[in-house]
Amino acid sequence: MTTVPRALLAIDAGSATTSVALLGKPWKRWRLLGSMAAPAGAPIGALASTLAARLISTDPRMAVELSVSAESIGDLPRLEAVSSPPQTLAVLGASRRAVGLLEGVAARTPWRIRTASPETHDPREMTELALRPEVAAILVGAGDPPGPDERGWLDDLAGLVGAATRRRPELRVVLAGPVAARPAWAEGAGRPFDGSQERIVEGPPLGMRSGPDEPLREILEGLLTSRDSRHTAVRALLSLADTIDRTVELIDVGLDGGLRAMASPGIADQGPAAVAVRTAQAALVPRDIDEDDVEAVLAWTTGSLDRHRMGDRLMDLRAAPWADVSGEGARLRLAATRAALARLDALSPDIAGMPSPDVTIVSGGAFMIAPARATALAVADTIRRPGTTQLAADHARLLGPIGTIDDPDERRDLVADLADDLLAPIGSLVIVANVPTGRRQAARVGQISLDGDVQGRHDLVSGEVAFIDLAPGDQALATFEFRDAVRVGHRARRVAMPVSGGVAGLAIDLRDVPLRLPERRDRRRAALAAWGELAWPGDER
Amino acid sequence: MAGASAPTRAAVDEAPGIELVARRRLLISPVDAFFRLQPGDHALVKEGEAVGRGQPILEHFREPRTLVVPGASGEGDQLIPGDRAAPLGSRGREGQHLDGELLFRSGGRWRIAGGERPEPLESPVAGVVHEVRAGTGVTIRSTANAILGQTALAGPSWGKLQVATGPDGELRAQHVDVGMAGSIIVAGARMDAEALTRARAVGIRGVVVAALGIKEQRDFLASERRGRAAVHGLPPFGILVLDGASRRPIASPLMALLEAIEGGMVAILGDPPALVIDDPSILLPSPPPDLVRVRSGPLAGAEGTWAGLAGPRRFPAGVTLEAAFVRFGGRPPVAIPFGDLERFA
Repeated sequence: MTTVPRALLAIDAGSATTSVALLGKPWKRWRLLGSMAAPAGAPIGALASTLAARLISTDPRMAVELSVSAESIGDLPRLEAVSSPPQTLAVLGASRRAVGLLEGVAARTPWRIRTASPETHDPREMTELALRPEVAAILVGAGDPPGPDERGWLDDLAGLVGAATRRRPELRVVLAGPVAARPAWAEGAGRPFDGSQERIVEGPPLGMRSGPDEPLREILEGLLTSRDSRHTAVRALLSLADTIDRTVELIDVGLDGGLRAMASPGIADQGPAAVAVRTAQAALVPRDIDEDDVEAVLAWTTGSLDRHRMGDRLMDLRAAPWADVSGEGARLRLAATRAALARLDALSPDIAGMPSPDVTIVSGGAFMIAPARATALAVADTIRRPGTTQLAADHARLLGPIGTIDDPDERRDLVADLADDLLAPIGSLVIVANVPTGRRQAARVGQISLDGDVQGRHDLVSGEVAFIDLAPGDQALATFEFRDAVRVGHRARRVAMPVSGGVAGLAIDLRDVPLRLPERRDRRRAALAAWGELAWPGDER
Repeated sequence: MAGASAPTRAAVDEAPGIELVARRRLLISPVDAFFRLQPGDHALVKEGEAVGRGQPILEHFREPRTLVVPGASGEGDQLIPGDRAAPLGSRGREGQHLDGELLFRSGGRWRIAGGERPEPLESPVAGVVHEVRAGTGVTIRSTANAILGQTALAGPSWGKLQVATGPDGELRAQHVDVGMAGSIIVAGARMDAEALTRARAVGIRGVVVAALGIKEQRDFLASERRGRAAVHGLPPFGILVLDGASRRPIASPLMALLEAIEGGMVAILGDPPALVIDDPSILLPSPPPDLVRVRSGPLAGAEGTWAGLAGPRRFPAGVTLEAAFVRFGGRPPVAIPFGDLERFA
């Protein structure tokens, strides 16, 4: 933004839906005037015109002040973020172990991964993989010096990848180790690697025990567009953490991938900092649905669908993610979201190991349509971090578009103005670990007292999830008293913490950490159904 | 549908907004048909060459393998990966085929993708060869119209189109008879694995169906793999899935197109998944601009006319969604979530 407009459009063009928000500056600060989402591919102008018409019918004076009209809205400045479909990365190594190490790193990037090694594929199959039109880049790695299991095949691998670079001049290659130094590379590529080819990037070699992570991930992410909404959202998250002076976690599950990021405010002269994991494996529904994907979703459902029917539903969800959103479709979507969240949690142990953030923001179409309590329960089911956090939703999908502003000061100012509108409060989530279990099921293990905008006292029962009404905007001091010491961030019998309200109120989770569901399917479904009854409107299935 | 109440006249008469509904493109032209070339496969056509339907365009090995042969000294400058290793039909001392594709050279030895039992692939459409990339694929550009589907299994294939059942029908194995041999049939809303197996057995060349479940897809593909590995291979057969996996009728604009081209020659392509209409002289019907179809939810398959935006509404499971009014027949308009609707263009 080079000039200061009084209204603008924030657009997040996702893989499943396109969201348009109308921002205006009627007085001294920016406000969210409206937002709307439609299936991906819907014309942005039509969405913006609908928003303009709603503003004009609600507050014509403000529309005039901001020069917003149905005809001119398309001319407003735009902040536009795009979610690109994942590109395919061929991960090649000279041994199964080497490929496993590389795959572990690449899985924590937005790339869609296909792996091959001489132990699992013959050279023809590996060449076929490298030449597939959908493969946009190759990650090939080896130890330095190569491990005993790599030495026999490393020359062949170097020759194979070198030949692929010769046959596909557009192919990007990341060399994680001394692959190009092998004489066979020059035989395949037609010339020795001298570092002058921009499309071939050198990365750190493989470690013997653990894979290189951050440097190699940065290289792999650097090959992708920086305007992707999961990339720009992290920049907006930094500004938000700095503005509200809180640690903020962002959890985003989309059709083609997921994001988990933790941002901390700046301290002294240091700016805010963030750790982020973007991964294609946390997609709501994987592109190629296999038995494991079906089972992962079935594990979170309470209905009576068999594997095949569930596979059909997931295929339809993948093909038309914006469709069948109400009724059973909403429950299926949230079951798929839980499966995706579980994958995201498993791929981000570094973030999972951090203390509970002050604020957790959920983002993505699956969260936006579900009832607030169901969203809170989905997060509590999968992100099992003892502590308390305030849950909120990026309901208008503003973080991605705001992150496209390059100037950090300008971005911070906009976030500061919009902080109240940006997040829709879901409620506070308290996860208590090491809850003493009674001999009887449903034994009382403690109590919670609320003191503030809402007063009251409630008994706490081992293994339960409890929702206590606490309206959006309400604040209270929650005091937990247990029979024995529990863990809520730290170990204690008596814990007091401030909580704030939301549409879902205060959610208290006294289940096991990590969550242990019954092995038998009928019992597991019964347990999920019992918790689900708290979260979903009872008579509307 | 809970929450879907009849609107006032004023609400229905609001701005159309139909452009916000997901648009489904029915036809594309031209079509770039892509045929995969595995390393070792041999393209039989060159870029710019005109090809006719049924003309062999590539040859692939049914038993592919990798050969290792010593590279002659000094040859490195002449031969490059992707080149043919030797003229067609060349054999080594032990009788093995040498007419494969050079993969790469390492330690002075070439790896060659070759194999046994070459099998030609015939072009299902007439067109011009747009691109040939060894080890990657052949692209043929056809100026014909094509109906886009969602997925294609097996194929390519071609034959005369025959509508075997109505848009909501389900073709059972006992209804698949030999009289349909050589044709591509329109099989209605869904088809089970048994009917697919029988269709292939009686010589049907392809199936166009609205939905095919994940089990049927897996069963068919497993059967396809077994058949391809057999001694005599399989005749061409393709399945074009128009909508998805859950049962639903074929949309009326699609059915109108299929009925218009019935009896004409068509081809099923795998990439893009499409049904190519051979005869350019057929007048293809186009749907009314205000026609919308409910693609999912309790009213899945129903078609009606657009009656305006309904704004955010509450629907079952307590979800609030942007909705639109749709008029079914002469009844009052019903509010349907935007996402459950599709229109055609």
